[in-house]
Amino acid sequence: MVLAHGLGGSGDLPVPYAYAMVGAAWALTFTFALVAFAWRRPRFDPQKPGHALPTAVTTLIDAGATRSTAAAVALVFAVWVVLAGVWGPQSESNALLGVFYVLLWVGLVPLSLAFGPVWRVLSPTCTVYLLLRRITPGRLGRPRLSCPEGWGDRPAALGLFAFVWMELAGPNSASLPCVKAWLLIYAALMLGGAWLCGQRWLARADPFGVYSIAVSRLSPFRRNPASGKVVIGNPLDHLPSLPVRPGVVVTLAVLLGSTAFDSYSSSPTWRNFADRTSRVAHGMPTTLSSSILRTIGLLVFVSVVALTFSLAARATGGVDHAERRALPGQMAHSLIPIVVGYIFAHYLSYLVERGQQALIALADPFGRGWNPLGLAHMHVAYVLSAHPPVLAGIKVACVVTGHIMAVIAAHDKALRLLPAGHQLTGQLTMMLVMVSYTFTGLYLLFGG
Amino acid sequence: MTLRSTLITAWVAALMWALVACGGSSNQSPAAAPVVDVTIAKGQVTPTNATLQAKVHQQITFRISSDASDELHVHSTPDHKFQVAAAPNQTFQFSVDVPGNVEVELHDLDRTIATIQVQP
Repeated sequence: MVLAHGLGGSGDLPVPYAYAMVGAAWALTFTFALVAFAWRRPRFDPQKPGHALPTAVTTLIDAGATRSTAAAVALVFAVWVVLAGVWGPQSESNALLGVFYVLLWVGLVPLSLAFGPVWRVLSPTCTVYLLLRRITPGRLGRPRLSCPEGWGDRPAALGLFAFVWMELAGPNSASLPCVKAWLLIYAALMLGGAWLCGQRWLARADPFGVYSIAVSRLSPFRRNPASGKVVIGNPLDHLPSLPVRPGVVVTLAVLLGSTAFDSYSSSPTWRNFADRTSRVAHGMPTTLSSSILRTIGLLVFVSVVALTFSLAARATGGVDHAERRALPGQMAHSLIPIVVGYIFAHYLSYLVERGQQALIALADPFGRGWNPLGLAHMHVAYVLSAHPPVLAGIKVACVVTGHIMAVIAAHDKALRLLPAGHQLTGQLTMMLVMVSYTFTGLYLLFGG
Repeated sequence: MTLRSTLITAWVAALMWALVACGGSSNQSPAAAPVVDVTIAKGQVTPTNATLQAKVHQQITFRISSDASDELHVHSTPDHKFQVAAAPNQTFQFSVDVPGNVEVELHDLDRTIATIQVQP
């Protein structure tokens, strides 16, 4: 409880009751209208061609020069941030904290929504790996082991959990040494794994890569599966193309559960409970006992999301055991809009306002009074915090829009997966679970 | 326009209208500036995790009686830090410039005294 998100400052005001109620009413109405009246034949398909963009767009995006420029800019930015972390002011105002918790974690979402899975191009560890491979003899760069494909998305889920643990349950999220240690372990695991298993390891195990890929499925831009050209189309056609690997549900559950726990852990209910528990566990330092308690809380939230989603996906008749086991993974893409909607609802003001703060801090990374472009003397514009009704409206709209897209995606996929005769009943549990996610999300935004 | 896009447009318009319409209904403004009496004794704080209402630029007062020195952190924009001494009836005043949920915590005891909902 030292500093929320390691950043300090104030949080968002709770969403007014009326807003939450209107949002909940819309979510509920839409869901059951959909189940009762919507189409009975699947309509969304990643194989659809989409509306082609000019060929120049694809050429530009695929050009080696574009990719290496983007990778180089990202690498220079990362080096700048790390230098700021190492030699900058060792306090809460260090730019590394804002970049790590806000620009990386939240900024990756709009970036992936707008440009697709950008992390595989921007990832500084990937760039460093490719550079290292270029300068070492070919014999050294060759992978020694085959990539453990059976692990699926689980290493990435673990990495994402490590991030949210650090932010929400660690002993001190605002501590620079802890963030630097986290980044060091991350870089060592990524580069070590890539040294053993080749570049494939980075595509499979990089938590931010998997995060970016999942979010990018909601992007209107995708590639035509036949020609590989960049096209624009309905995001609902893009969503089902999420690669289904073991652990995909857990990955999304970490994202949703952690965001929910973030809301919940700042409510008076949780705090009173945590204070009482730490009083019982006397003898143990408060930071340790509260960190353990929050770790358990975080695990509970993530497990509840993963379990309810998996059970809801399995709750249908007319399928055999193997088909039932595969259902949660095949339905996992429908959780993405809820995750993205809720991340936006919860962290939008952080991205806009703390993001500015982080950029201003980056202009003068070492606290020496540098002032490039007059950036260091700028002040954060509190455009969202200053207008709470607007912010509350945006939040509820994000949650409800995410919910609606999720139920549409789930309904459509259920039509494709479930046998005739079970298509309506088989998706009811999923709809109920999604409604309960959205109600919980709105309740937490309303103040818990 | 097809029926489908008409329906979608109508839905978006209705949602927006509903959000705007309920925008004016949340004006329970506190008139008096909040004053909080805090007691710190034998490692225990009263109150903890309280919820208060305040307005931007309003003077918020904390009167603290303590038997130990500590540090009072106000996580607002701009933020404030006050040294609490082991003495009765110390008064700390501050105001907040940006609306938001402002947490007031005792740093050494690691307890949140109150969350102040600062409205514009």
